[in-house]
Amino acid sequence: MPKIKINGKEVEVPQGSTVIQAFKAAGQDICHYCWHPGLSVAGVCRLCMVQIEGMPRLQIACNTEVKDGMVVNNTSEAVKETVRWGMDFHLINHPLDCPICDQAGECGLQEQYMQFGSYDPEMAEPKVKKHKVVDLGPTVVLDSERCILCSRCVRFTDEVSKTHELGIFNRGDRSEIGVVEGKPLDNNYSLNTVDICPVGALTSKDFRFRQRVWYLKDADSICPGCSTGCNVKVHYNEEGLWRVKPRYNPDVNGYWMCDSGRDTYKFVNVQTRLLAGKIGQRGSWAEKSPAEATRSVAQRLNEVVEQSGPDAVAVVVTGQYTNEEYADLFKFLVQDLKVKNIFHWLNNPEKTTEFDGLLLRGDLNPNTQGLEGAFKANVGKGNWEDLQVGLSGGKIKLALVFGPENQSSFPDIKEKVQMLSQAQSMVWFTACHSADLDEAGCETWQIPLKTYIEKSGSFTNFQGKVQTFKVGTTVVPQALTVSEVCELLAGRDLNWALRPKSLGGAKANYATTHRGAL
Amino acid sequence: MFTLSPEGQEFVKAELKRYETTYSAIIPCLYRVQKEHGWVPPEAVSYLSKLMAIPEAHIDEVRCFYTMFNQKPVGKLHVQVCTNISCAMNGSRELADALCKHFGVNDGEVSDDGKVTVSRVECLGSCGTAPMMQVNDQYLENLTTEIAIQKLKEMGA
Amino acid sequence: MEVKLLSEHYEKPEFQKLEGYKKHGGYQVLSKALKMDPKAIIEEVKASGLRGRGGAGFPTGTKWSFLPANGEPRYLLCNADEGEPGTFKDRLMMERAPHQLIEGMLISAFAIGSKKSYIYIRGEYDYPIAVVRAAIGEAYKAGYLGKNILGSGFDHDMDVYAGAGAYICGEETGMISSLEGLKGQPKLKPPFPAIQGYLRKPTIVNNVETLAAVKYIIRDGAAAYRKYGTEKSAGTKLFSVSGNVVRPGNYEVPLGIPLKTLINDVCGGLRPGRQLKAVIPGGSSAPVLTAEESWKVTMDYEALAQMGSMLGSGAVIVIDDSNNMVDMLSVLMHFYHHESCGQCTPCREGTGWLNKIVHRILHGHGETKDLDLISKVAQQMMGKTICALSDAAAMPAISFVTKFRDEFESHIRKGGHTAQVRGAAHA
Repeated sequence: MPKIKINGKEVEVPQGSTVIQAFKAAGQDICHYCWHPGLSVAGVCRLCMVQIEGMPRLQIACNTEVKDGMVVNNTSEAVKETVRWGMDFHLINHPLDCPICDQAGECGLQEQYMQFGSYDPEMAEPKVKKHKVVDLGPTVVLDSERCILCSRCVRFTDEVSKTHELGIFNRGDRSEIGVVEGKPLDNNYSLNTVDICPVGALTSKDFRFRQRVWYLKDADSICPGCSTGCNVKVHYNEEGLWRVKPRYNPDVNGYWMCDSGRDTYKFVNVQTRLLAGKIGQRGSWAEKSPAEATRSVAQRLNEVVEQSGPDAVAVVVTGQYTNEEYADLFKFLVQDLKVKNIFHWLNNPEKTTEFDGLLLRGDLNPNTQGLEGAFKANVGKGNWEDLQVGLSGGKIKLALVFGPENQSSFPDIKEKVQMLSQAQSMVWFTACHSADLDEAGCETWQIPLKTYIEKSGSFTNFQGKVQTFKVGTTVVPQALTVSEVCELLAGRDLNWALRPKSLGGAKANYATTHRGAL
Repeated sequence: MFTLSPEGQEFVKAELKRYETTYSAIIPCLYRVQKEHGWVPPEAVSYLSKLMAIPEAHIDEVRCFYTMFNQKPVGKLHVQVCTNISCAMNGSRELADALCKHFGVNDGEVSDDGKVTVSRVECLGSCGTAPMMQVNDQYLENLTTEIAIQKLKEMGA
Repeated sequence: MEVKLLSEHYEKPEFQKLEGYKKHGGYQVLSKALKMDPKAIIEEVKASGLRGRGGAGFPTGTKWSFLPANGEPRYLLCNADEGEPGTFKDRLMMERAPHQLIEGMLISAFAIGSKKSYIYIRGEYDYPIAVVRAAIGEAYKAGYLGKNILGSGFDHDMDVYAGAGAYICGEETGMISSLEGLKGQPKLKPPFPAIQGYLRKPTIVNNVETLAAVKYIIRDGAAAYRKYGTEKSAGTKLFSVSGNVVRPGNYEVPLGIPLKTLINDVCGGLRPGRQLKAVIPGGSSAPVLTAEESWKVTMDYEALAQMGSMLGSGAVIVIDDSNNMVDMLSVLMHFYHHESCGQCTPCREGTGWLNKIVHRILHGHGETKDLDLISKVAQQMMGKTICALSDAAAMPAISFVTKFRDEFESHIRKGGHTAQVRGAAHA
C-alpha cells in the first residue's frame, strides 16, 4: 500500500486511491463540491486543489492517483488563494438567498465558505438569471440559480439509478440542470439527488419549508421498509420525525436509500399512532392505559388456556419486529404457554423474491429472516388453512395478532381483521390505529406498540446480516414493545423507572447534519 | 405529433449503424430534423429518443449545446453575420445592424414575411475575406451592406 | 518569403479531384510509406521536428509514441474543427486539396497502426465537408481506402463527422466527446487520449495541417523538411493573416520569418496612412503584441514564447490604429463567454465575469480599479481547469489591459466616449 504525506501527516492508503480519498483517510479537510465517493469523478468544481511536490501546477485531488512517497499539501498560500477564488467563482452568480433557502444550516456553500472562502468578494456585476421553482417531478423541486452545476445529481441518475432523467442543458454560465418535458424525475431513488446536492438547488417536496435543520436532531437507525435494511439517519425534534436519510454502509446500501424507505418516518408520528389501549368492538370502544389493557388480555389468555388448552389460542406474527422481541415472544408462547398455533402473516407473498436491482426488495418487512429463525428454533409454522378451519369450527377462541407496524405495506389488513374476528376474542398489537380494526366485529383489544425508532434491538436482513439499533427518540411513551407485552402477559410488572417518560429523545446530539454532501 | 419523413427515418436507422456507438448518430439525426423542419423543436427529442433508444436528456443536452441547432424557428434565409474580431474590424457589426434595419428585425428574429432571420454569430473561419456572413449553408464573403442586400435579394429575400 | 510546400498546387482547381491530384504525384508517397516499417515513419516524423499545427505545438512524433505498444485498436482523428478566431487555413486545405489530407492521414494511420479514422470538421464548413466526403468516396473507389490498400495488407476506413457549432470541440478531448455523441465537453486528463481517447481506446488527434505535412516529410525526408524553419520550429507553416492588412489571406512561409516581413512584404502592409497598433500572432487566444513587439518578433514557437505570446494556430490578426482596444477586447470576451462549455467553475463563471466587466468599461461605466480586477480574475482562471479555454480567455484579457492600459484608462476617463468604437457592440 502506498504511503503519502498530507500536510505533514503520513497516511497509508490502498493502491489505486485518489489523493482526495487519502485526505479523508488522514482526517484532513479539503474543499470540494463535485466529488462524491459514490459517483464517478467529474473534476469540474476545481476546489480540491492541492500542491504536489515535484509538480509545477496545482492538481485536483479527486483525479490524481496516489503514488508512493507523494508529498501533498493544501495549506500553501498558492492553494489557499486558488480555493478562495474558486469559492468566489461559485458564488458570483449564486443568489445568496440563505434566509429563505431550505439548505441553510446544512449547505456545502455556507460551510465551506466559512472555512475556505475569501470574505472579500469583488463581484459587482448583475447576476445571471435562471429558472426558479422548477418542478422536476413528484418529489423534487429545482432552483437553478442556486445550482453550482457540480453534476452530482446528473451522475446519480446516469450511474446509480440509471434512469437518465436529468441533464445539464445549454452551455457556459447559461447551463442549467433540468429534465426533458414528458420525462420527469420520477424514480424510486429520486430523493438521493436532494441528499447529494451540496446546495439548495434540489429540495424535497416532502421536507421543504417544514423545518429549519438546526432545530433537528438525528439518530441512527435501520430502515424498516423492506428486507434490505438500509442504514439510515432519522431526523426529528419535539414535534416528531421529519425525514429519513441514508447512512453509509458499504455492505448494505452504500450511500443510498429508496424513496419509499424515506416514507417510514410518517407512521411513527403521533397523528397516526394508537395512543391508548382500546377494548370493545365495532361502535363501542373503551380506553385504558396500554399496560392495564394488556393485563386484562393476560386474564383472558389464562382463562382460555385453562378452560380449552393452549390449542385454543392462535397467534399471528408479522416480520416487522426485532429479533429480541421474537425471542421473548416465542419463549413466552411456546415454552411457557405451550401454544403451537403460530402463523406467519406475510404481506404480498407472491412478490417477496422480487428485487429492483438496486436496493428495494419485494419482501417489505425488515425482519422476515429473524421471524423465520424464531419459528425454526421453536415451533413449526402454522398452516393458514388450518387456522381458517380452527376459526370457523370454533376451536380457536382467542387470536393474538402482532400486526403490521408499517400498515402501508400490508394490503390485506381488512381481510385479516375479518378472518381473525371469527374467534371469540381478538387481541391486536399495533403501533398505529386502523379504521379496519375499529370495525372489528368480535370482542377486541387494541394494544399500542412502539415503532422501530422507539426501541433498541436488531433486524436480520435478507442476507442474514444482523443489524442492531438503539432507541432514537420516543414519540408515544406509553406504547409497549413486544417484549414488554410478554412480561405483562406473563403477569410480571415492568420497570417503570427505566421507561422513557416524555418526548424529546434519548439522544441529545444537536445535529450538524451533513446530508452526505461533504 | 412530431415526425420525420420516411426517408428521414431510414436515415436515422442507417446512422445508428454507421458509427462505433449509437450516440454518435445524435448530431447527424438532429441535423436531419433541422433539414426537414428548419429548426429542432423540443418535441423532436422524445421522438428521436424512441427511434434511437437513447434517453431524452442525453439527446436534449446535445441539442442545447451546439449553436447550429436552431432552438426556435428561423426565416427561409438564415443570415448569420460573423461579428468576431477580424470581421468586426472590417465593419461586420455595422453590416449586421444595417441588415437588421433593412429587414425590420432584431437580432435572431424572423422577419414578418418569414423570409429572413439575421443573427450575429462567432468566427466562421473566413477572416481573410471579412466581413462575411453565412446564409443557410453558403458563405458570402468580402461584403459591403449593398452587396449583402443585393445577394440576399437574389436568394429570395 | 512564401514557400509553397503544402500549398504548391492549391491554385489548380483540378487538385481537388483524385485525377488531378494524381497528376501531381498524388498517393505516390502513400505507396512508398506502405513499404516502410511503421516505426521508421514515426522516427522520420520525430526527426523532422514537426510540431502540432493546431495550436499547442506539441511534437507530433512524440505524441504518436505515447500510444501503448499492444495491439489494441486505436483511432486517428483529424481535428478540422477550425474555430480559433482568425484561423482559416484548414478550410483552404480541405477545399483545395482534400486528397492531400487523406494521403497524409493514411500514412499517419499506417505509422500508428490505426484501422479507422475520422475527420471532424466544424459544422459550419458545409462546402469543405462536401469536398472531403466526395474525396473519401473517390479514394474508396480507387482502393486507397478500405481493405488491403494498394496490396499492402493494410486496411483502413475513414469517415467525416460534422460538428454542430462549438468552439470547444477544437480541444482534442472536447472533440472526442463530440464524436462520441455527447456535449463537446473536454475530458479529464489523465488519462490522455493516446492511452484512453475515443470510446476509451487509444487515440491520436492531429490537426489538418499537421497530417498534411506528414506526407511531405515522408516524401522528401526529415532533413529536407528541416531545411525550412528554425532549429526548434522546423518546416513551413500556413499563416492565416486577417484584419487591417492590404492582402489578407493564407500564406505558407518558413517558420521563423519576421512578422514584419509577413505583414509588409507578404501581405502588402497596412492600409495607407495607418499605423500598426497591435498584432495577435496566433489566434485570438494568443496574448496580444504591441506594435513595437510586433516589428521585432519572428514567427516561430520560441521567439513568440519569449515575447510572452504564442504561435498558436498561426492566425495573425493585424490591428491598426483605427481600432479601439477596449472594443477589440469586448469582442473577444463575448466570444469566450459564448463558447465556454460550462463544466469547470472558474471558466464558466470567469468568462462571464470578464465579459461583463469589459463591456461595462466599454459602455462608459468603468473604473480604473476594474483593470486590476480583470487581471486578477483572469489570473485565477489560468491553469485551473480541465482544458485551456479558460486560459485562452484569460491571456488576451491580461495582455490587453496590461499592454494597452493607457488606452483603457483613457477610455474610462472619457466615460466611454472615445473614437473608433464602431457598430453596436454586443450587450
